[in-house]
Amino acid sequence: MQMLFKLIKPKLLSSRNSLNARVLLRRAPFFAIGFVFWILLYIGTCKFLSFVRGIDFAGEVLSAKLLSMTFFGLTGFLVLSNVITAISSFYLSKDITFLLTKPVADRDILRLKSLETVMNSSWMVLSFIPPVFLAYGVTYHASAVYYISISSAFIMLVILTGGIGISIAHMLTQFFPARHTRLVLLGVGMLLFLLLYFTMKSVMPRTLETPEDIVRTFMSFNTDSPLLPGYWITETVLPLLRGKGPDMFYSLVLLSNCAFFLLLSSAIGRRLFRKNIGRLQPSGRGPGNGLFSGIYPGRKSALPYKDILIFFRDTGQWSQVTIIGALVMVYIYNFKSVPVEAMAELTPFIKELMLLVNMLMAGLVLSAVTARFLYTAVSLEGQAFWIIRTTPVNISGFLRAKFLYGCTAITLLIVPVVFFTNLAIRVTGGLMYVSVGTALMLCVSVSGLGTGMGAIYPKFRYANIASVSMSLGGMAFMVLAFSLVVITLSLEAWLFYVSQAGLDLAGKIQIAVCLALIGAINAAAFFLPMKIGAKRLSEFEA
Amino acid sequence: MIGLGNISKAFDGIYAVKNLSITVGKGEVFGLVGPNGAGKTTTIRMMTGLLKPDEGTANMGGYSITDEPLKAKAILGYVPDRAFLYEKLTAREFLTFIASLYDIEKQEALRRIETLTAVFGIRDIEDELIESFSQGMRQRLLFSSALIHNPEVLLIDEPFMGLDPFGVRMLKGFIGNLSAKGVTVFLVTHSLHIAEEVCHRVGFINKGLLTSIKSADEFRTIEGGLEGLFLSMGD
Repeated sequence: MQMLFKLIKPKLLSSRNSLNARVLLRRAPFFAIGFVFWILLYIGTCKFLSFVRGIDFAGEVLSAKLLSMTFFGLTGFLVLSNVITAISSFYLSKDITFLLTKPVADRDILRLKSLETVMNSSWMVLSFIPPVFLAYGVTYHASAVYYISISSAFIMLVILTGGIGISIAHMLTQFFPARHTRLVLLGVGMLLFLLLYFTMKSVMPRTLETPEDIVRTFMSFNTDSPLLPGYWITETVLPLLRGKGPDMFYSLVLLSNCAFFLLLSSAIGRRLFRKNIGRLQPSGRGPGNGLFSGIYPGRKSALPYKDILIFFRDTGQWSQVTIIGALVMVYIYNFKSVPVEAMAELTPFIKELMLLVNMLMAGLVLSAVTARFLYTAVSLEGQAFWIIRTTPVNISGFLRAKFLYGCTAITLLIVPVVFFTNLAIRVTGGLMYVSVGTALMLCVSVSGLGTGMGAIYPKFRYANIASVSMSLGGMAFMVLAFSLVVITLSLEAWLFYVSQAGLDLAGKIQIAVCLALIGAINAAAFFLPMKIGAKRLSEFEA
Repeated sequence: MIGLGNISKAFDGIYAVKNLSITVGKGEVFGLVGPNGAGKTTTIRMMTGLLKPDEGTANMGGYSITDEPLKAKAILGYVPDRAFLYEKLTAREFLTFIASLYDIEKQEALRRIETLTAVFGIRDIEDELIESFSQGMRQRLLFSSALIHNPEVLLIDEPFMGLDPFGVRMLKGFIGNLSAKGVTVFLVTHSLHIAEEVCHRVGFINKGLLTSIKSADEFRTIEGGLEGLFLSMGD
């Protein structure tokens, strides 16, 4: 343990040394955005819980179900996140060679890397979930025991999923050829896809013809298996929400499993780590003749040429493309199964409502994909950014090239997704044109926002490019991008509402104002960050 | 060809370089030497545009690096002390990319790539990923990329780092050839004996201040040569 503290100390000191008044001031806007997001999430969860609990007969059951589904989703996310982070942390990080050449026992390296993996893969969840727990506690007027209990249960879940993720990472690296770590990560992505696909398939009933079917479907999501950690946590905290004492049995089940998976990951690590490391030495082999080798790009296409070549050879990028692809497939499949006719009995304008939900979902995917691939585009240059700075490359042109390359790819993903999901919920005609047009506009503005913000807050020194999108700047971008989506869609929804109410003069003015606002907000979201980003980047002192 | 006029750079209020002025003529090889932390790398980074001088001017071939950066960079070649490159590109792809940035015509670029990879001894590994290159091979690749556009000014930070004796000998000859062709070379180094061999003039920098400039005739006649002069700076 003493050695572990010694190994952690440089990281703690680095963090402390990088914190000063200037850095804190620079990060202040991110903290402000995060704080506002917390408040909104808290208010939203409170309101939603009050609504759900108010539903006759099924309210309390649905509320408990939501908690159980939250933990079910968190478990899946944390396991996957831990697998990906563990592969990078244990086998691809830059300090591994340093550590292996020092008189440090493998046991201590494994402990250090386990700690890093758990921290890096769970901090995002840790920073977003507290308002939800708080909302549950406040809505149910829970005692202090609830807050202590759910916090410790969540920490145990983080450790438990860390243990599972690290164990899987060691085994995957063992089974796949070491030179082809891309396959390891692709395997993870495919596993996730299959898991999600079959989960979805198994819970969907054959027919969804009545509103009762929909409620039954919601309840049939099998997140309540006693074999799942989410269930143990739900069973531990639910009695506390209802004013009873904690369920000690499930608390102990959680604790014992937490300890078991921690020990398992350590045992597997001791057995496989050295063996896997030995097989991960870089090879001198060339990449072979790819699609783009032999091409001589002109000055304007030189940057996309380089980015495309690197993208197709970067294992980290590929794994995440696979995961995103899998999620999009599940998302389309989900919409394909939406019973529009049956839901029409619940509310009028169901098609329009579903379209709005669809656009919000697409906006969320757009924000996440842009955060991962466009926000990181400038930082991806890494410490080789000196090449751009010392060659006759115009920085505005450099940013435009990054934007064009990323925006094209993102538009090719998002617009067809919107189109096909619209078809699935039987949206056609004018609504189809408006939604596809909106998707196109958002692709451009969100891509511009992402590229620009990535240039304003570049991070050229990183261990893993995915960590850049999860940095404070990346999270702030996600929040801003999704807010842009929500504002745009709200204005469009208002536009639709006004047009349905009849077009008098006041209505026409409102429509004109809405259209002008949509155009102005999206144009500002594109141009301002791109302009400030280019200025910041040209003044960047490397 | 190179004109530094009273350039200064401070970090957190402490001067790394202060009021440094140097003029280097066409075809001249100028070396800047000094102890660790003297301000050598800061100087060369200001000349490339990687750092902006707080005061003073840096002109390359008549172009100010701050006011006309694209024109200045078009005639500059730069070899940094640390070889951060695009690890997932092959050497040939990297050189192709760099040639494109300088807008060199395709056939001409391919011809130059052939020549440079042969001269710097990386022809056999040009289709391998840079991530598998040794430090010396990276240095050779950096030189190839810095010369692909036939620069008028070559700025080199620690040129002999990681090179084997064959590489050092080849590079010394190459710098001499470039100088003979009229290319101005500005190098920053700790290898005093090599600086003594290749430089026409050498400037000494300590604590950000240029303390003296000696011509080859001067430092070659002093007892102990450059090393003697360098060590006397510490006294």
